[in-house]
Amino acid sequence: MSTIIIGLSIAMLLFLLSAGLTLIFGMLGIINFAHGALYMLGAYLAYQLSASTGSFWVALCVAPLLLAVTGALIERSMLRPIYDRPHEFQLLATFGLILVLEEFVRIMWGLQLRSIAPPPSLSGSVNFFDTDISKYRLFVVLFGAAMVGLLFFGIERTSLGLILRASSNNAIMAEMLGVKVSAVRTGIFALGAALAGIGGAVAGPMLPIQLQMGSTIILDCFIVVIIGGLGNIRGAVAGALLIGMTRAYGQQYAAEWIDIATYTVLVATLLLRPQGLFGVRLRTA
Amino acid sequence: MRTRSISVAFLTLAIGVALMSAAPAQTADKFRIAGIIPLSGAWGIIGENMRRGATIAIEERGGQVLGKPVEVIWEDTETSTQVAVQKATRALSQGVHTVFGEVSSGSTLAIMKLTDQRKVPQIVTLSADDRITGADNSRYTFRTSNTVSMENAMIGEFAKRRAVKKVYGIIADYQVGRDMWAALRADLASKGIDVAGEEFAPIGSKDYSIMLDKAVKSGADGLALIVVGGDVVTSLKQGGEINLPQKMTVVGTMLMDETLGQAVGPAGALGVNSTLRYHFTEDTPRNKKFVAAYQAKYKEPPSQYAGEAYDGLSWWLDTVESTQSWDKEKWVDAFRNSVRQDSVEGVKRMRACDNQAEQIGLFGTAEAGGGEGLAVVMKVAETFPAQTLFKPCT
Repeated sequence: MSTIIIGLSIAMLLFLLSAGLTLIFGMLGIINFAHGALYMLGAYLAYQLSASTGSFWVALCVAPLLLAVTGALIERSMLRPIYDRPHEFQLLATFGLILVLEEFVRIMWGLQLRSIAPPPSLSGSVNFFDTDISKYRLFVVLFGAAMVGLLFFGIERTSLGLILRASSNNAIMAEMLGVKVSAVRTGIFALGAALAGIGGAVAGPMLPIQLQMGSTIILDCFIVVIIGGLGNIRGAVAGALLIGMTRAYGQQYAAEWIDIATYTVLVATLLLRPQGLFGVRLRTA
Repeated sequence: MRTRSISVAFLTLAIGVALMSAAPAQTADKFRIAGIIPLSGAWGIIGENMRRGATIAIEERGGQVLGKPVEVIWEDTETSTQVAVQKATRALSQGVHTVFGEVSSGSTLAIMKLTDQRKVPQIVTLSADDRITGADNSRYTFRTSNTVSMENAMIGEFAKRRAVKKVYGIIADYQVGRDMWAALRADLASKGIDVAGEEFAPIGSKDYSIMLDKAVKSGADGLALIVVGGDVVTSLKQGGEINLPQKMTVVGTMLMDETLGQAVGPAGALGVNSTLRYHFTEDTPRNKKFVAAYQAKYKEPPSQYAGEAYDGLSWWLDTVESTQSWDKEKWVDAFRNSVRQDSVEGVKRMRACDNQAEQIGLFGTAEAGGGEGLAVVMKVAETFPAQTLFKPCT
C-alpha cells in the first residue's frame, strides 16, 4: 500500500510538470525545452517567498502567478514572432531560454543548494499499513488529484476551455468568430508556465532546489508526454501514473533497474502505439 | 640526397630539444597555477568553495612565490571529465607551473595522465579514489586530503564504537560507490558487523523513500548512505520525513556538513554522522588564522572543501618557496619528503612511497546550530590518529 502511495506522489509531481508541457505543445504546437528551467525558476521563487514570508502556502499561491506573468512575457516577446517559422527556430529559442533562465537563477541565488521546509501541519509522518508515510507526500497526492480535476473541468467544461480548444483546432476560424487568438496563445503559455511553477513549489520540500533540477526532471516529463500522447491531458495523467508506479515498484524490487524499466516502457509504447496511449494517429495519405 | 638532408634536419632538431631539456630551469615572470575545478554544474558549489580556500592560501603570502606574483588561471570543468581534460590540456600548453584540482576522481585520474606526461606537479585536495595515490599513482601528483580507504576505515570504526550490529547500505550506482561499498562491507565483516541488505540507487534518483523504508524494516540499526551530489539532500530530506536519524545510526562519507545541513533542514540532518575532511572548529593556530581570514573575506565559516584546498595549496607553495628554485623536479622531491607540522589539522606527513599525505581523520555528528546563522553544525565526535588509518609503506 505504501508503494502505491509513494508511486502516486511521484506520479502527481510528474503530472504537474507534464501537464504544462503537453498543454503548450497540444495547443501551440511548440515543444518547450525550457519547461524544466521554468520549473526550476518556480522552485527558486517559491524558496524566496517562503523564506521571506515564513509561509509555504504563500509560496505555493504566489510563485505560479509570477511564473504565469513570466510565461506571458516570454510568449509575447520571444515565441510570437516565430510561430510561422520552422520548428527548429522554436527549439533553438526555447533552448536559448534555458541558458538565460539558468544564468539568471545563478546570479540571483548562487550555486548553493536551497531548501523549503514543509508547513508544520504537513511535517512528520503517519503510519499507513505498517509503513511511515510522510504527511507531505499525502498532500502531494491529494493536491495533484485536485489539479487533475481542475484542469479537466476547466478545459472540457467551461467556455474558456472551449475557446482554448477551438483556437488550437482551427485558429483562423476561431479568429473569424471573434476570438483573439494571440491573447489565447499567451494565456496558454502562461498557464503552462504556471503549472511548471506549481510543480517547482510542490517539489521544493521533497527535493533539493539546485541549478540542475530542471534538466534532470525534464527527461521524465518528455517520457510522460510521449507515452501519454502529445497534447493530451488524459495521456499526461496516464503516462505520469505509469512512470510513477514503475519508479516506485522499481525501488521496491530492483532499484538499480529503475531507469532501464522506465525506458523499456517508453520504447514499448513507441513500438506498439507510437502516437501515445491517448494520442490520435494522423493519417499521412 | 634529399632524404639525407631531411635526416640531418631531424637530427639537428632532436639535439636541440635534448639540449633545451637539459638546460637549467628558467625563472619565470609569474608563478602560474591552473585551477581545474567545476565552477558550474552539479559540483559547482564545491569548486567555488575550493577556489575560495585556494585564494586565501595565495593572499596570505602576499600573492607571491619565489619573489614573483602568483597568477591563477581558473578553468571551469562544468562537472564534466571531458571538459576537464580539454581545459587541463589547454592550461598545460600555456606553461603552468602547478595544476590544482579536480573534484571528481574520474576527472583527477584523467588529468593526472596529462600532468605526468608534461611533468607538471598536480595538487589534489578532494578526490578520494585510492587509485590516485595507489595503482595509478604518478611522481607528479600529490594528494593532501583523504582517501576512500581512510573514509571506509573511519565509518567502520565509528559503527563499531557506537555498537552498531547490522548495517543496511544505500549506495549510488557508480564505480567509486560500488568499490567503496565492497571495501566497507569487508571492513564491517572484519569488525563483526553484519550487512542486512543493500540497494544501488541510480545517481539523480528523485525518490529514496521506498529504499529508506526497506532499510528501516530490515532490522538493521545502522544505515550506510553512500550517495553523491544532490542525492545526499534528496535522501536525507526524505529520510527526515520519517525521522530516519532517530530510527537508525546514519553514517556516510562527506554526508553532512554545515552547507548540506542548510539544504537538508534539521529534520533530516540532525543526528547524521559523517566523515569530515576538515572542520573550522579545529583548534590549531594555523586554522584559527585561516578561519579569521576566510570569515573576514567571505562572511561565513569555511567549508570542508575550502579548508582542504587552503591547506593543500599553502603546504605546496611553502615547499616550493623553500627550494628557492624554479626547477619543478626539486619541488617534487622536496614535497615528497615534507612534513607539515602546522597544518589546519595538526601534523601531516607526505609519504614518498605514494605521494599521499598521512593525517588524522575526523568524524562528526550533526547538531542543532548555535549561531553564525547556521541551522545545523557538525560536532567533531571522533578523531582517528593517522597510524590507525594508513598502512605503512612497503
